[in-house]
Amino acid sequence: MTIHAVWVINKAGGLVFSRSYSDTLPALPLNTILILAGTLHGVHAITSRLTPGAGSGGMEAFEAEGWGGRVFLTSTGTKFVVLHSIPHTGLEELLKRIYEIYADAVMKNPFHTAEMPINSSLFESRLQGLIAGVNT
Amino acid sequence: MTIYSLYIFDRHCECVYYQDWHRTRPVRPSAVANFKPGVHRLPLAPTSGTDASANVRESIFSNRTSTHSGDVPDNRVGANGPSVMNGLGPRTGAGGTAQNRGLPFDEEAKLVYGVVLSMKNMVKKLSGRDELFTSYRTPAYKLHLFETPTSYRFVLLSDPSADSLRFVLRQLYTGPFVDYVVRNPVVQMDSRTEGVDNDQFRAAIDRHIRGLSMFGT
Repeated sequence: MTIHAVWVINKAGGLVFSRSYSDTLPALPLNTILILAGTLHGVHAITSRLTPGAGSGGMEAFEAEGWGGRVFLTSTGTKFVVLHSIPHTGLEELLKRIYEIYADAVMKNPFHTAEMPINSSLFESRLQGLIAGVNT
Repeated sequence: MTIYSLYIFDRHCECVYYQDWHRTRPVRPSAVANFKPGVHRLPLAPTSGTDASANVRESIFSNRTSTHSGDVPDNRVGANGPSVMNGLGPRTGAGGTAQNRGLPFDEEAKLVYGVVLSMKNMVKKLSGRDELFTSYRTPAYKLHLFETPTSYRFVLLSDPSADSLRFVLRQLYTGPFVDYVVRNPVVQMDSRTEGVDNDQFRAAIDRHIRGLSMFGT
């Protein structure tokens, strides 16, 4: 079980944080990740329109061969995305923990501007600690 | 556990076949101008040439159900009145009915193809290899993709709790598709104006899907 990367996307679809935690997926230039985050944001909105029956909501998870992604949408519109190996358990709790760290280290920081890129060493180190405990 | 719908796209990005089973929010027929024969058996849209509203193509943005904007507590309500979307509450006016009607078929097919293509590109960029995107899941449904070497894309929408159904799409390709489409001299493959629908093919797919253990009632 490996977490490959964590992204935080603001409610306008802009990437405000991205960090890679494994070498399985190649390192990409920040610009590319920015574009991919925007794509994900758009796809998320479209997938909720394609609902064929009861229920609603956008993309929660996607799968490729050997790895996948998980999307967690908070009630304020911020999206947390983790890229992970398949199979992987406990992703929901992990995303909740990341949200918690985000709330503590970013939102309670009086010097942080909402919807802007996250430059917080506290957030990064706490996230690093969390992911290091998951990656085996 | 149910199967919702099946789409087949050809290499020109056109939907050449559509069939659905348990949709509780049915697709609307496409406008007459956008009708393409041999794809689906949906009834034609009423031909009301004078009705201006029939010509107004509905956009996915006309009814803002996108998840992010909906959930944000909107502080502009005071300024703009209650018409500003406040998310999960009941919608007012035309938006409310559009929500239940679903999209016209041609628009829906384009959206499905667009999502599949975007996800494929994203997965390819992220992994740096020509890796295959296989499925995604929302709280309401799961989309499975199977792609043939000839760039036919089989897309199946199922219950979100379903396991990977790519083997089913593969069976549909090697079975009914090869038998009743590829080997059928009457079907015009690769034509941009017509789908591949025929009675045998439709019946064979229906039999196959209904024979699945996860096909519910």
